[in-house]
Amino acid sequence: MRKTLVFLAALFFVSNAWAQELNVDEIVIKANNRSYYQGKDGRAKVTMVVTDAQGRKRERQLTILKLNVQEGADQKYFVYFHKPNDVKGMSYIVWKHAGKDDDRWLYLPAMDLVRRIAASDKRSSFVGTTFLYEDISGRSIDLDKHELSASDAAYYTIKNTPKDAALVEFSYYTVKIDKNNFVPMKAEYFDKSGKLYRTIEALEVKVIQNYPTVTRMKAADLNAGSNTIAEFSDISYDIGLTDNIFTERFLRTPPQQWLKE
Amino acid sequence: MRGIFFIGLGILFLNILPAQAAELPEWHGFAEQAYGYRISRDSLTKHRDYNMLEQRIQLKTRYAIPGENFLSARNGVITYKGDFVLDEYFATTGSFDLRELNLAFSPQSFIDIKAGRQILTWGTGDYVFINDFFPKDYVSFYIGRDDEYLKKPSDALRISLYPKAANIDFVLIPDFTPNTMPDGDRLSFFDSFQRGIVGRDSQRNAVKPAFKAENMQYALRIYRNFESTEGALYYYRGFDPSPRSYLDEANFQLFYERLDAYGASLRGPFASGIGNVETGYYRSRQDAHGDNRLIENSMFKLLVGYEKDMGNDLKIGAQYLYEQKLNYSAYRSALLPGDFFWDEYRHLLTQRITKLFKNQTVTLGLFNFWSPSDKDGYVRASCAYDISDQWKLVFGVNLPWGEDMTTDFGMMKKNKNAFVRARYSF
Repeated sequence: MRKTLVFLAALFFVSNAWAQELNVDEIVIKANNRSYYQGKDGRAKVTMVVTDAQGRKRERQLTILKLNVQEGADQKYFVYFHKPNDVKGMSYIVWKHAGKDDDRWLYLPAMDLVRRIAASDKRSSFVGTTFLYEDISGRSIDLDKHELSASDAAYYTIKNTPKDAALVEFSYYTVKIDKNNFVPMKAEYFDKSGKLYRTIEALEVKVIQNYPTVTRMKAADLNAGSNTIAEFSDISYDIGLTDNIFTERFLRTPPQQWLKE
Repeated sequence: MRGIFFIGLGILFLNILPAQAAELPEWHGFAEQAYGYRISRDSLTKHRDYNMLEQRIQLKTRYAIPGENFLSARNGVITYKGDFVLDEYFATTGSFDLRELNLAFSPQSFIDIKAGRQILTWGTGDYVFINDFFPKDYVSFYIGRDDEYLKKPSDALRISLYPKAANIDFVLIPDFTPNTMPDGDRLSFFDSFQRGIVGRDSQRNAVKPAFKAENMQYALRIYRNFESTEGALYYYRGFDPSPRSYLDEANFQLFYERLDAYGASLRGPFASGIGNVETGYYRSRQDAHGDNRLIENSMFKLLVGYEKDMGNDLKIGAQYLYEQKLNYSAYRSALLPGDFFWDEYRHLLTQRITKLFKNQTVTLGLFNFWSPSDKDGYVRASCAYDISDQWKLVFGVNLPWGEDMTTDFGMMKKNKNAFVRARYSF
């Protein structure tokens, strides 16, 4: 019995020591891959409820298809809007590039118009919610300096400071990462005066096809008093999406087999 | 002919429907009330105080063909969109505007087909069209209807092919649909027969090409990406969608002259924004030498544009359009004494500023046209407020101006309006 305890204790220390040996960049890379690059591709239906300071609610519902071009770097996204009704049927393609501006196209079916979107500001609201574009498609890890600011039994806490402070509205943000699966559980953003003004929290994590996946997430704007809760459903990975889905053809004619209501 | 086509599509629709009655398609749309108040009184038109007063209900649905049949196996989808309009400007009892009724399917993995009434758009311009000859409604544009109504539907067959090297869109339009232009009832305009701004007293009329095989219109676009840059080539064979040529001067008749057009465009990332360039050569087939004083000259057009995201939900854009009549000296020497004539060149600049506020629920938009050569312009400004996911309110102004009464915007200067639209979406 004692031997077992000693063994377990030793194992704990060894594993802990092993975990400690992960340097901060490795932790950040693992967490980034966990959040944005699981599987070769993926699909999810997202329902976002935006609640403003007066308690008024707005709903956004969309299907997101994602294809990894290069792990940790380039990706392609296809977004199809189900709700609200005035944007139903619109679709959106993003070619995310590491190190340069994304390419984005929006299709407006009422005018049969494919509009190219100039979008260098990734820190603007994602479809009018409390989430920002960067929250949805990921912030390049090269844009920040990362420090391990705390580590307890369950979480790493990483402090991220932007390399170019002029490009963003925060002075730094911290992310708590689950040591077991490297899922980022909570991000806190501090403004230029050091005050906490924005949080993003994972409310529910499920294992889907062996991939730990956040299925419920909340973004809160503490200054405005508004928040958005995003629920992810119909999640599947490695469904065999091909490159051609992320082109003007499917922007105009959304790929039905992936967009079931 | 067109009727038979729609009846055929209707029968197809009805045949498929009963089998799947349990899975009726979802209907969406909106109800809208719109009013446009004339800032400049215009007693030439039907109503001097307003130029828009209408209620509209739009219903639309998208029906994926179910079951196991030829069309369902090929992603067959029927799209329907129609507007019931009560246009109180003309005090009508109500009318129906069928915007879309088409069948889309993919007979092969590299072919898409869309047949029926549909909206068609291509090209890189922002409110400026060089290689898009699909019909437009400029009356809707000037009175402040939603942007959607700038585009009129075509009854067309669109075949899209996706081989490896490039994508190809081929559009066949059997029956000609002209642009809707100011005709005096609602908007006054410059009538070259009367040499002045006219309203309801205009006797001008435009004769449409007849519905027959030789009047079939063809539009072709070949396009592909070069990394992030989109390149396209265009060809069109048909008619000028606006009536610019004279058929019978004594009877105030204009017509839509035959036109061939060749064009090209590029659009892609440029100077941390999006740049675009588009060009077109219009060959006036009934006046190839340009020496017919009654028929529009061949033309060259060039558009250069740029759009940039300034951050904080602020976007700006600018365009420059150059137009030149190509056989101008032949045209000038063919003119008779006293003939009204058009200029050789036109330079047009546009600016767009869009700013979103309040979590993107308020959109302030300004679009400005300005032509230094025509000494005219057109300011379009609007404020749209998404009150909720259902209710939307839009206020705006349309302010065309100009020194001369003959230029595109100058002739519209008595049509300034301020409009409001309230829409409930469902």
